[in-house]
Amino acid sequence: MMKYVLKRIGMLVVTMLLVSFLTFLAFELISGDPARSMLGTNAPSYQVDALRHELGLDQPFFLRYFKWLTGFFSGDLGISYSYRQPVWDLIGSKLMITILLSLISFALIVIISIPMGIFSYQWGGGPFEWIRTSFNQLCMAIPPFFTGILLSYVFGILFRVFSPGDFPDLYEEPGAAFLHLFFGAICLSIPRIAMTTRMMRSTIVSEMNKAYVRTAISRGNDRRSVLVTHVLKNSLTSVVSFLGQTMAEILAATIVVEQVLGIPGLGRFLVLSIAQRDYPVVQAIVVILAFWVVLAGTLADLINQSIDPRLRLGGDLA
Amino acid sequence: MRKKLMAITLVTVMALTLLAGCGKKTSDSQSKKNDRAAKNTLAVGVAQDFDSLDPDHMTVAGTKEILFNVFEGLVKPNSEGEIVPAVASEVEKSEDGKTYTFTLREGVTFHNGDPVEMEDVIYSINRRRDGKDAAAQLDALSVIKKIKGDGNKLVITLSEPSNEFLAFIMNAYIIPADYKDLETAPIGTGPYKFVSRKIQDSLVLEKYADYWGEGGSIDKVTFKVLEKAEALITGLQSGALDVVPHLSSDQIAQIDKSDFDIMEGNMNLVQALYLNNAKKPFDDIRVRQALCYAIDKQMVIDTGFDGYGTPLGTSMFPSFGKYYDESLTDYYKPDIKKAKALLKEAGYPNGFKMTITVPSNYTPHVNAATILAEILKEVGITATLEPIDMNTWLDKVYDKRQFQTTITGLTSDNMTARKLLDRFGSTKAFGDGDKRIVGNNFTNYSNKDYDKILKKALAATDDEEQTELYRQLERNLTENAANVYLQDMADLVATRKGLSGLTFYPIYVLDISTLKWEK
Repeated sequence: MMKYVLKRIGMLVVTMLLVSFLTFLAFELISGDPARSMLGTNAPSYQVDALRHELGLDQPFFLRYFKWLTGFFSGDLGISYSYRQPVWDLIGSKLMITILLSLISFALIVIISIPMGIFSYQWGGGPFEWIRTSFNQLCMAIPPFFTGILLSYVFGILFRVFSPGDFPDLYEEPGAAFLHLFFGAICLSIPRIAMTTRMMRSTIVSEMNKAYVRTAISRGNDRRSVLVTHVLKNSLTSVVSFLGQTMAEILAATIVVEQVLGIPGLGRFLVLSIAQRDYPVVQAIVVILAFWVVLAGTLADLINQSIDPRLRLGGDLA
Repeated sequence: MRKKLMAITLVTVMALTLLAGCGKKTSDSQSKKNDRAAKNTLAVGVAQDFDSLDPDHMTVAGTKEILFNVFEGLVKPNSEGEIVPAVASEVEKSEDGKTYTFTLREGVTFHNGDPVEMEDVIYSINRRRDGKDAAAQLDALSVIKKIKGDGNKLVITLSEPSNEFLAFIMNAYIIPADYKDLETAPIGTGPYKFVSRKIQDSLVLEKYADYWGEGGSIDKVTFKVLEKAEALITGLQSGALDVVPHLSSDQIAQIDKSDFDIMEGNMNLVQALYLNNAKKPFDDIRVRQALCYAIDKQMVIDTGFDGYGTPLGTSMFPSFGKYYDESLTDYYKPDIKKAKALLKEAGYPNGFKMTITVPSNYTPHVNAATILAEILKEVGITATLEPIDMNTWLDKVYDKRQFQTTITGLTSDNMTARKLLDRFGSTKAFGDGDKRIVGNNFTNYSNKDYDKILKKALAATDDEEQTELYRQLERNLTENAANVYLQDMADLVATRKGLSGLTFYPIYVLDISTLKWEK
């Protein structure tokens, strides 16, 4: 087990190195010079060159990357080009908000979809099955930004439960901030809940058709206790890896939802920083988000291993 | 069928909720407004976040626009386009134009309460000048040879006479010597002091009670950053905002005029179809003139900007008073026949194909380009739009000059005509790259007469003579059809009823100190 954990951590580091290098490269390739972007059309070329020098942009590509890398490992994320403040000071509080937002969404997904999956297996079918499936389909198809607009209209303007665009301070008004995040989490989790529920249900269905279930039932156990004692545990592994990937997609969707609901998280900051060509900020956010995604995948794997000991021997699911 | 039914039901429910949402309106907006008017505070919406708050590091026009209320130089601009004393109470210029003597004003204090000393003033000017801390904004302070403090007199000696020195020293804001926290807690001498700032959210300023001058009326002003255009309008309607500057005519149309006054000023920029004078067919003056005759600017303003905007005929706008030559606006009267004849003479009897590159996030420029493409069809020219993002535009069009034609708005960030005109000096006469001290000539305009007059204008010590030379430069640009000049776009500002005193400046600033709530 220990060996496996170490291997995963090694992979995590390699992935992050790769991601950071690729973002660095991407900015090298796309057009647009941060110095000119900052100074606009009023500045003569000598001022642009002077600023480029001040920001270190006149140094060779690999040297800049190496400097950034050594800085990163010593905990220095660099200085933002446009705010001239340490990147960490700028993104620290935003990171907290995005992590909270994705954790709340994740919690909603786990808490709702796993029982829902079992429920829809147990009580699914029958004459009203079409309602359940079409509702499920609909939920899967609703894009988070649409739910965002709808929620801000209904709960923001009509009922005034929260004020979209005016995010309360996380530490001064934690309750109001949490409520605001909760609405964001609803937008993010609806399609994912629908997907996970369906996933859970179909996994149970295929497990129930396996030989061991037939054997167990033929030995006199009733379906229900077989479901609870054997099938659920076996169904969970694929759901857990699915949830690991879900984390990545939640993060991607936070970028849109934060814009719609005016949540000052990393996603919104990322989009604006790309537009401003604020490389140090973009670089830091991308690496942090990548870390978060890879970490979720790693955790999912580790959980699966403790559920299913066969995996520890290097076997694969399926 | 079942799904269809579901869909219809859902859509109906959603539509009903939306309708219900629209029902509630202005009463709420009114109560919030009364609250702020009673408390004597103000909420202003801005479309872009502020960058660095250090006066020598800020580069975003919107940051300079607002921090104009916090910082002051030895002198400052007024709304008439004049330069008036600020931290200095008197300015004296020597006969030869090489020595400027500033008398420091009595009783000027920084926002932390400390009096402004000679040491602070010299520190501030040097900090901006030496470029180590302020590479971004070296400006034209390089002409300074010597700075000397003598009692309350500051004597600045220049290496060569400069008529426009005050316009540049104006932007050297006075800050406390060796003060380190300008990024997070800026301190200046202006009528408003910094209170707090949240990145991508807001900036709060408060009236500085010990201001040396008349000072402001409003006690506290919150600038709320809302990047989305719709959010600014919703903010006004819902009562969250009182003032939003720089709105478009489309946005103005959505605002309820019974709650708001719409003030119209000028953006102070030269919007034009800028031509790459080095690229065929625009290297031919006849083609450029044909374009000028073909394009009816008033029509562009009427159809694309609901009639808001001032037509221009050269690289200068009306706010610059004495420099502006109005007679050039109608130099080319719209005349399709003449345009066609000129094109034929130039060897394009059937017109040609061209590309208009536009920064896609600037709707006014994209709108103008769309209309121009329509208009140019009449003379047989097929214009294709190439929208690109602003950073790419700056790189490809502005710095690398890889374009045929483009639409943008050029501005001046100090009170001199120079910034608008010196960029058209040719590469041959004024050099290129980092050796060039005048603006970037991205249009590749090259005219021997222009270079000659520009050299004379830059060296002139007499103001009247210099003004006359600048006006000659403007005429040269028009006569040679350097670009197709369109307009100085309107700056539309929505202010809540009951708020008065909004003042427009010839440069891009929003003066808070003149605003007040009527009692």
